[in-house]
Order: sequence, then C-alpha cells, then structure tokens
Amino acid sequence: MSLLRIENLTVALPQGAERPHAISDVSMSLDAGEILCIVGESGSGKSVSVAATMGLLPAALKITQGRILLDGTDILGFSPAQMRDMRGKRIGMIFQEPMTALNPLMRVRDQVAEIMQVHGAPVGNRVLELLEAVGLPNPATLARAYPHQLSGGQRQRVMIAIALALEPAILIADEPTTALDVTTQMQVLHLIRNIQQRRGMGVLFITHDFGVVAEIADRVVVMQQGAVVESGHVTEILQNPQHPYTLKLIAAVPHTTPPPRPAPPGHPITGRPILELVGVTKTYRGRGAVPAVHQASLRIGRGETLGLVGESGSGKSTLARAIVRLVIPESGAIRFHDTDLRPLSRGQWKPFRKRIQMVFQDPAASLNPRRRVGDIIAEGPVAHGEPRHKARARAIELLRLVQLDPGAADRFPHEFSGGQRQRIGIARALAMEPELLIADEPVSALDVSVQAQILELLEDLRVRLNLTMLFITHDLRVAAQICDRVAVMRRGIIVEQGPTAEVFANPTHDYTRALLDSIPGRRKNQT
Amino acid sequence: MSFLHAFTRNRGAVLGLIILALVALMAATASVVFPFSPWDMQGAPFAHPGEEGFLLGSDSLGRDVAAGIAHGAYVSLLIGAVSTLVGLAIGVSLGAIAGYAGGLMDDAIMRVTEIFQTVPSFILAVVLVAIFRPSLASIVAAIAIVSWPPVTRVVRAEFLTLRNREFVQAAEVLGRSRFAIIVHEILPNALSPIIVLASLMVASAVLLESALSFLGLGDPNLMSWGFMIGSGRSVIRLAWWMSVFPGLAIFLTVLALNLVGDGLADALNPRLSRRR
Amino acid sequence: MSILRFLLARMAKMVAVIATIVVVNFLLIHAAPGDPASVLAGQSGAADARFVEQLRHQFGLDQPLSTQLWLYVSSVATGDLGISHLQQRPVLDLILERLSATLILTLSAFAFSIAAGMALGVAAAQRAGSWIDSALTVLALGFYCTPIFWVGLMLVLVFSVSLDWLPSFGMMTIGAPLHGLARVQDIAAHLVLPALTLGLFYMAVYARMTRASMLDSLGQDYVRTARAKGVPEGRILRRHILRNALLPIVTLAGVQAGQLIGGSVLVETVFAWPGIGRLAFDALLARDYQVLLGVFLTTSIMVILFNLATDLLYLLIDPRMRPA
Repeated sequence: MSLLRIENLTVALPQGAERPHAISDVSMSLDAGEILCIVGESGSGKSVSVAATMGLLPAALKITQGRILLDGTDILGFSPAQMRDMRGKRIGMIFQEPMTALNPLMRVRDQVAEIMQVHGAPVGNRVLELLEAVGLPNPATLARAYPHQLSGGQRQRVMIAIALALEPAILIADEPTTALDVTTQMQVLHLIRNIQQRRGMGVLFITHDFGVVAEIADRVVVMQQGAVVESGHVTEILQNPQHPYTLKLIAAVPHTTPPPRPAPPGHPITGRPILELVGVTKTYRGRGAVPAVHQASLRIGRGETLGLVGESGSGKSTLARAIVRLVIPESGAIRFHDTDLRPLSRGQWKPFRKRIQMVFQDPAASLNPRRRVGDIIAEGPVAHGEPRHKARARAIELLRLVQLDPGAADRFPHEFSGGQRQRIGIARALAMEPELLIADEPVSALDVSVQAQILELLEDLRVRLNLTMLFITHDLRVAAQICDRVAVMRRGIIVEQGPTAEVFANPTHDYTRALLDSIPGRRKNQT
Repeated sequence: MSFLHAFTRNRGAVLGLIILALVALMAATASVVFPFSPWDMQGAPFAHPGEEGFLLGSDSLGRDVAAGIAHGAYVSLLIGAVSTLVGLAIGVSLGAIAGYAGGLMDDAIMRVTEIFQTVPSFILAVVLVAIFRPSLASIVAAIAIVSWPPVTRVVRAEFLTLRNREFVQAAEVLGRSRFAIIVHEILPNALSPIIVLASLMVASAVLLESALSFLGLGDPNLMSWGFMIGSGRSVIRLAWWMSVFPGLAIFLTVLALNLVGDGLADALNPRLSRRR
Repeated sequence: MSILRFLLARMAKMVAVIATIVVVNFLLIHAAPGDPASVLAGQSGAADARFVEQLRHQFGLDQPLSTQLWLYVSSVATGDLGISHLQQRPVLDLILERLSATLILTLSAFAFSIAAGMALGVAAAQRAGSWIDSALTVLALGFYCTPIFWVGLMLVLVFSVSLDWLPSFGMMTIGAPLHGLARVQDIAAHLVLPALTLGLFYMAVYARMTRASMLDSLGQDYVRTARAKGVPEGRILRRHILRNALLPIVTLAGVQAGQLIGGSVLVETVFAWPGIGRLAFDALLARDYQVLLGVFLTTSIMVILFNLATDLLYLLIDPRMRPA
C-alpha cells in the first residue's frame, strides 16, 4: 500500500477564471523511501495538488472529485481537528520563500518548539538536536536568534527542522530551493536527500527545474495546465521523454558544456579593448563599509561577449551600473576607448549614452507603464536631438528587428508578455545604435522556454549589428551558452576570468569549482 | 477597465460626488437664495426651525441659520481647496527633491518634516492664526503649513522606490535630463497616491477650518460653519438647532470628500482595493 | 549597551526638536505684526505701559536680534516661560497647575480608544465581509468625518440636556467639596463625556487600522507555516497574527499623539475641562500670547515623550528594530 495516494483529484477554480479547473483528474502515489518530483511551470497546478493534500487550499478553491488516501484512509473526510492533527505530525511541509515563512517576532527556538507543544509531544532537548540534525552551526546560539538574523539557507534549514520535528512519514517540499543561491540550493538538496534516506521518508518535491529533478528525484510526475501529462522513473523521463511538453522543459535547461563559438574579430587580450575597467571600487554608505565592488578589473574586446557571473550580492549588478554611471564608484578607472568615464559629470557623459546601452532584468519594471511602446523606444534618440517623427518611424523598424508586430508601438507595456517586454527593452537599447550593450540578467525573470528565445535573439543581434556585450548572469548554464569569456565574481571581487570553455573545464579558483558543482543535474546530465 | 468606469461602479464614491456637487451649488447660489448678509438680523432671536420663515431657525441675534450655512459653504470649500493646493505645492516639491536627490538633501528635508510631524499640528495652527490675526490668508497659510508633511512623506517614498525602478534607470542610461525624468517618468507613476491624498487633505482642511473658527479664529468678515457652532455652544440648552445644523453640514461635506477619496483610491489602484 | 546608545541618540534628537520649537516661538513673536513687546502684552487694551516696559527690558528689545534670541532661549531653558498678562502670574505655574487635568483626559481617552478600537478591529477582521464588518466600517467613517467639538456638543445634548445622566461642565461639582472615593467618583462622572468625545474619533482610527493590519498578517507566509505545523486557529491568532498586527498600531499611536493633544484643546473648550487646552482657549480670547506659546511648547514636549514611549514599545515587540 502506498504511503500517499491521490486519486482522480479535481479542484474547481472560481467562476470567471481562465479555466474551469485548477487541476483535473490528477492521480499519483508516493511510497515510503522515495522522492517523487512534481514538475511544471507556473500555473500547471502542482502547488494546488499538494495544498489539497495538506488541507490548505485557499477558500475560493473547492475539491469537486477524487480521494486523497493517507495510509489507506481518505483524508478528505477528516474533521478540521483530525486534519490539524495530521498536519505536522504525519505530513511535514516546507515552502518556497524561507525569508517570509518564519514569524519575524518569534525566536527560532520557540518556533521549532511550537510544533511539539501543539501536538502534545515533549520538547526537552529536541530543539537543539533538530537544529544540529539539519546541519546548522552553533545550534545553541541559533536557537536564541530571530529569523532576520539568519541567512536564507539557514532559514530554510530551520523550516526543515520544524517539518521533521515529529518525524512525519511524508515531507512535502514546495519549490524549497528556488529562492536560494545555487551553492546554497545544492546544500539544501543534499540535506533533504540525506534525511530522506536516513529516515526512509516519502518526499513529495515540487519544482520547475529539470536540473533539480535530475539531482534528487526517484520518480517524476509532469504537470501542465492542471493535468498530469507524463509520469515515470527519473532516468526513463530524462532519457526518453514521451510528451512534447516534457521534451520542451528538458530542452529548455541550458547545457553546461559551452558550445564551440567562432572567434570574435578582435583579439580580446592583445587587441585594444573597447572597455577596460581598472581597480574599480564601490562602497555603499552605511552598510558596514564593506565594498560592494572591490578592485575590479576587466577588459572587453570588440565583438566579444563577456559573461560576468556571480550569486546574488556578489556585486555584479553594482559593477554593471557603475559602468553606466547609475552608481558612482569611489576609485578606479572605467576606460571606454580612450576616455576614462569615471570622473565625467552628468553632462559630459551624455555623448557616451549613445554608445553604451543597457538591457535590464525585470521586463515588468523596466518599461514605464504609463507610456506607449513606440514612445518608450523613441525617447532615447529624441533626448539626443533626433526629430520625434523620425525616431518614431525608426521605433517601428526596431520592433520588426526584435521580431515584434509594428502595431505594438501604439500599445502599453502591460499588454505584452514578459518575453515580449524584454524584446521591447532590447529595441529601446538598440535605438541608440550602441557599440557596447550591457545586459543585466536579461532572462532571469522569464520562464525557461522563453529564456531560450531571448538568448537566441541577443546572439543573433550581436552578430548582425557587430555588438560588443557585457552579459551579467547568476546562471552558469546561461553564461556557457552565449559568452566568449567569463569573469566570476564573489563578494565584490573578480576571482577568476578566462575563455568560457577553459574556465568550465579547468576552474582555477575554489569558488568557481563550487559554483560549477552546484549546477543542478550537472553530473547526471553529462553521463 | 477604464478609470471612470471603475469610479462610477463604487456607489459610495458617486454618492460623495453628488453631495459635493450639492454643497458647491449651495455655495455658488448662496447670495441668490439668501440675498442678504448672513450677519444681518432677519427676525426674532431663537426662532425654532420652521418658525417665522426661518427654515433652520434663527440664532441669538435673530440671524438666519440657513443663510449662514449656505454662505459658510463657500468659505469651507474655498479654504479647503486653496490650502490643499498650497500644501500640495510645498509637499510635492519637497518630497520630489528629497526622494530624487537622496543623500544630504534628503536628510535635511526629512529632519524638518519630522519636526513638523512631531509638533501638535492643531495647536501650531491655532498659534499661527492667533499671532498673525485671523484672516482668510492667515487661515489658509496655517492649514497649509500643518498639512504638507504627510504629502512630503508619501511623495518621497514614491520617488525613492520609483527612482530605483528599472525604467527610470533606463531613462538615465538613455541620457534624458533630470527634469524630464522627474516630470515624465516618475511623477506620472506617483500621481495616484497624490490624488487620493489630496481629496483627503481637502476633507481634513475643512475640519481644521471649522475647528479654528469654532475657537473664534475665523475670518471676522466671513460666516463659517465652525463659528456658528461656536456661538451656539453656550446656548445649547436653549437653541439646539444653532449647533446641530452647521455640524451636519460639516459632517456631510467631509463625508463626501472621504467617499470620493476612497473611490479614487479604489479606481486608481484596483489591486489594492480588492485586498481591502 | 547598544540600547543605551539608541536612547542617547533619541534624547539628543528630542533636545534638538525642542530647541527648534523654542526658536520658532521666538521667531513667531518677532514675525507678528507690531512691536514684540506689545504682541506679548496682548492687544486687548488691558496692557499698561509699565508692563510693556518690563517686557521690553526682559527680552532686551533694544539689543541685537541674536542677543534677544539668546536671552529668550536661556530664559526658557531655566523654566521661565514668561508672565501671563491676564492673570499676572508665571506661565509655567499656570501650565503646571493644569497639566494633570489634561493628562487625565488624554490618557483615559487614549486607553479607551485603543482598547475599544482594537476589539472592534479584531471582531471585524475575523468576520470580514459580514454585517458587523460593514457596520464597523460605516461607524468608523462616521466618526472620521465629524468635527470632534460637534460630537462633544451632541453628546451633551443627548446625555446631559435630554437624559440628564452625566454632567457636561467642569471637572468637579462646584460648591460641594467632596473627599476620598466620592471625589474620585465625581471626577469620573465628569470625565465620561469629554473622554468619550476625544476617544471616539481615535477609536474609529484604531479600529480601521487593526482590521487592515489583521487582514494583512492573515495572508502572510508565516501564518501558512503555522497552519502546516498543525497549530490551532486560536493560537495562530494570538501568537502569530495579533502580535504582528500590533506593530502598525503602535506606530500609528505615536503618529496620532500630536493630534490627540490638539483635540484635547477643543474638547476642554466644549466641556470647560480645566486643563491646558482650556487655558489656551482663555489665552486666545485675551490675546495672551505668552501663555499660548507656553502651551505650544508644553504640548510639543508631551508628544515627544509619548513618541519615545511608543518607540520603546516597538523595540520591545519587534526584534528587527533592535540595534545588533
């Protein structure tokens, strides 16, 4: 008998939603000692399935059909008190956002102890044992801390400790590593795997990332639009996917081996660089005076794509913004051809605005919601003296260039999807006909399948328009695909740089190696 | 869904707008309906409502309460609107500068704002009007001086978040001027909270004006609702109507302004209103 | 240690704010139309030449402005707030005499408003969308839109004039010197209407705020976590929702302090409550500006002290605010 069995479960959406059911006719089962991954993009119904299992569905969603069997008993017939008794004791759960999942006003100790108190279990020394079991250093100190004093990874470990406190037979993990940095993500994945194996638990693991699937799953269920489209053993699904949607999801995971690239026209090391940074340092005021960027030096040759890679808080975005004077570094040189841009005033900078442009991360935030797309694209040239009608005409051409309908010019940004908005952002930058394009995480806010299209567009434009590009990303897999060279940044310092293939094959710095090892599914992918 | 549609769907807001239109109409036609000074004696003192041709009764000097209310509407709306405009002008400019410039400028402006917010604003207004002698100008100035700090705070907060939004950074990178960025990129996106705040400011300005004139700090040449309540206070056992009707007038006007404000808030920010 | 440093920083800020207010007072005297001495003496015509001359000397009006400022600031710093020309007594004495009456009124109004407001807000949030919720919204909006002095008059009309339940005037029954418990009862009876008048508006404010912040913390992730732990609803409300919902209420209480004290001027005027608000009103009628400015300074200091108290309370509730 399965530990948990979901049979023909259908959950209705409220009237007027875009489809009648959040999930329809979903069936799956979880055995003891296995990790079952539910995979799908946002809106696939994966979270609704587990919320139903926990009895935590939002009030607007109603179960219309099906059974959820826990050890053979249908929990849909449980009273609220029985349900409450089940939660925490028989099924533990962890969530996506560790930053907000803990009560900010309660000490860690009290939050861990609470689950035992409400279920009538003795607390004793359990809190410290649990904190130690999830690999937290200094459990005694940590127990007294408040959530805001912990890092994201530490908080997620506390959540795991809470979920494990009563030794439930089942652990439900809803995208538990999505909000974490790659290196932390890998540690948390290992922790879950270890605990699961030690205790023989059944784990229901939700993710959108096939890399994570490859890393952790025993079996896989793929969901799309509220229905299960494919399920099976992990190697079966990864190596021989049947459903086109599964195929698409797997294909969207970028490969970790850099594809061979034609050499850029100018030699990056010996030729004269377009942009050269020397010892750039930036410290924000009032942050313990630790520099966000410390002594950063790099050069970009004509026609080259340089990837600047690092985790959140590594200073890569600050460095990119320093180049375009969105932040002003306190020392170092930013040489563009023969001019040091750093000491220039706002007015002196203006001519260079035409030559250096930027594409931003969040397509929802990077376009002024109150202006029409045509005006957004034309505003740069207009600010530099081009007549408005001419700039508007060119905006329409540019929309074609980024493969959008010219009619888009008269519409507002909110009428477009994320990927389309990012194309508009690219068109805005290209309107200035820049030599150097800085792309700050241009695909990280997009769904995986859209990511691939935008990367392709950028690569195509780079070749056609002979652009030089500085590409900032936290995702090594993305960097591998489109960068000639990469520079790896950590805590404000560039720790390693070199040709992409070389850095990936033979990383010289420990941190680069750790980053590469943390790419989910890397080893399994390559075998 | 268009703004107008969203606004008119809110029944409270429409009701507010109707009341407000009636009050404005009353203010505009006061000198036609009551073609005499509201300060003039029109009959016997302390006439009950309905007696001796006094719709809402007469006061201790035989003045017509209804005429006072009609003429007072003009004063309330005028002071409410003008002092709000002055307060907005101060608040929006200071808030925009503090939020956009940041750094020392921001610190300096916020220190001053903090002091103004700490001081009991009503007492400051009383002191200002008393020392500069009650007049239309001093009342408007006093109300504006005590009502700008919240505007500054709201506008500054909006500017602080908006200036770090990527579309503003994109405009910087495109080389647009500071003025263009503030006026074309940031301000239009900060407008909805300012509009909502403005309607609530008019409401509190009407309340503040009535409180000042209740204490005898109204413009001595202008009839106002607060003054009428103030003069009815000591004879409330004798003539309840002298305080009740002007109070109702204030209540309805302020209520209407609040309803319109809530309607604006909902219509301008549908995401927020659904959560309420 | 760091808490101590926080306190010291707060103190420094308080002193700076008070100093600014003193300077503003000085500037107001000089910005007023007419000779500062006659401004201070009042235009009521009661001021005699000798008194004006005495003021001229006291403020050094024949000396440069900077000297005058120094004289003014140092005299205020030693507790000399000038002399009331109406009563011919030091302003400080007048204020201190009446301070306790104002404190009784404002603190009881505050206690009532926060207790009743939070209770109503919690009730409304728990039944969001029900008739109780709608009734509360209407009630809150009603009090929000009514001039406070008018509410006072209407309460007098109903509870004193029509029903004759409660006294409407003063703080004690005149001509009947009571002692002990009877005196307390007498004061309490006189307190009911003024405190209610002042408190009802803020009750509406706190009720709205409590409801909104309860609904806000209801949807937070940590509440979902608590549910997933199997915590009973009652305990979730007490330990997770209410504590977090308290933070914006404390902030609001600090912000409202100035308004509460400002409102007491109006309420004391309506009910002839012998506090500093009533003192200010009498000073207003007699153009007794020294008293008025003294009241302004005193009430500002009261607000600052109240804000300090709410800051400390916030520190107690929210660990994120504590300096590391």
